Amino acid sequence: MTTSAAMPFAMSPDAAMQEWMKFTNKMANWPKVAEVARNTRVGATPTQTVYQEDKLRLLRYESDVEKRHRTPLVVAFALVNRPYILDLRPGKSVVHHFIDRGFDVYNIDWGVPEPSDKHLSLEDYVLRYMDHVVDQVRERTGCDQINLLGYCMGGSMSAMYTALRPEKIKNLILMAAPVDWSTQESLLSVWTDPKYFDVDKMLDTYGNAPAEWLQSSFMMLKPVQNLFEKYIGFYENMENEKFLEDFFAMETWLNDNIPVAGETFRQFVKLCFHRNLLIKGELEIGKERVDLGRITCPVLNLTAQHDHLVPCGQSLPFNDAVGSKDRKSINFPAGHIGLAVGSKAHRDLWPKVYEWLADRSDELEG
Amino acid sequence: MAEDNQAVPGFDPFMKFWADMTGRMAASGVTAPTGAPDMMAQMRKTFFGAMAEYADDYMRSEQFLSAMKQNMDNALAFKQQINQFLTSTLQSSQMPSRSDTDHIVLLVRGMESRIVEKLDDLSARVDQLEAQRNGSAKKPTGKDKPQHKKSGRSQR
Repeated sequence: MTTSAAMPFAMSPDAAMQEWMKFTNKMANWPKVAEVARNTRVGATPTQTVYQEDKLRLLRYESDVEKRHRTPLVVAFALVNRPYILDLRPGKSVVHHFIDRGFDVYNIDWGVPEPSDKHLSLEDYVLRYMDHVVDQVRERTGCDQINLLGYCMGGSMSAMYTALRPEKIKNLILMAAPVDWSTQESLLSVWTDPKYFDVDKMLDTYGNAPAEWLQSSFMMLKPVQNLFEKYIGFYENMENEKFLEDFFAMETWLNDNIPVAGETFRQFVKLCFHRNLLIKGELEIGKERVDLGRITCPVLNLTAQHDHLVPCGQSLPFNDAVGSKDRKSINFPAGHIGLAVGSKAHRDLWPKVYEWLADRSDELEG
Repeated sequence: MAEDNQAVPGFDPFMKFWADMTGRMAASGVTAPTGAPDMMAQMRKTFFGAMAEYADDYMRSEQFLSAMKQNMDNALAFKQQINQFLTSTLQSSQMPSRSDTDHIVLLVRGMESRIVEKLDDLSARVDQLEAQRNGSAKKPTGKDKPQHKKSGRSQR
């Protein structure tokens, strides 16, 4: 009478014993898990700070690999997280693809805004910090133009900068960078609707956009994945050391959110999310209008097919808005972060990106 | 009864999620569970897939957005009360408060902007004078203007 048909969720004694053994093995592995967690290091490549301004640091990646390309590459990440995601771990490093093949690579660490930095605006970040960084790299390398790679919000800022100072940029690569906020595909666009979200009230109260608040917003974009599936995956793979190393490196980065300077956050929400001025060519930074049509350098636009944060629809219109004749987009089957750390992206995407950039960069003579 | 169900917040979307999940399970051939691990994994995947879709729909709903707004308003009101209390306490004990430091930062930024503007004007005038001295008719344009950089920089 007690067959599986009569009791659909019944488990045979053998199967139950197997499950119990599996569970006890996993529990016995906890000390190893704790050790891996304790020893997890992020940032695969050594860096040297070559320039500092206020809280910003310009990092240069050190390498013994002989330089083959004269034009350097500057990487600009978003203001909401730390930039080491682009060099998370060996085998999961975007910058490594370029360093290993002879590029001189720099990364902008925007620093952590203090309450007194709440007045920093897009003008400060784009026309001041970014411009100074670009000038600094031009001066160091003796190149008139540099290559710029912008990721996420850093991509939007890179697009703004290139439109404002086109003469300083040789090639532009955008990576999951939003430029058109006309669709409501992303939950962030829905949540920032002025009917439900009073950005002025929040910033008048907090000063900067709080890191914890940003972190919980990002987590809630995919609650089932972030609150359940991730930990089930962890439980199932907790005997796999390689998995644990990647897991803890990723968790370190995910929990390392930083606040965003209040004025910049206000401008981003109001001018981009609410009024969508960038793609319309009506955005003004300082006293200068940002006209994407002024971008004439070669452009490579990388988008992620399963991006829940910046859906492709927010990035792809960029290629139609620029004045470049040499423009290309690659829509890769990955998520927003997978584009930077996914094994598939490192195997199939980044070698192509390197080829694209190498073809368009000056080679070193001799 | 139907009216009662309507009154329970989130009931309809939950029913939609449940119907969706069971529909998917039936479609993927999950009928009589036997406790086999791969089947359990399949069930779990289907369950989470449906739940994720439900969560996405729910977080776009008027109901969720209104609740989010209300929660945020309450949290901000509480934080504002704390800020006001701390500010008044600091002021009454003659100590600098956040608003004082904000005021100083604004003053410094204003002063810095004015100095940078003056320096840019001066540079433009020097360029103009040099151009005149060299007998060139060329007038300096915005592009030629050296952009003066604000303080706090260090080079290594």
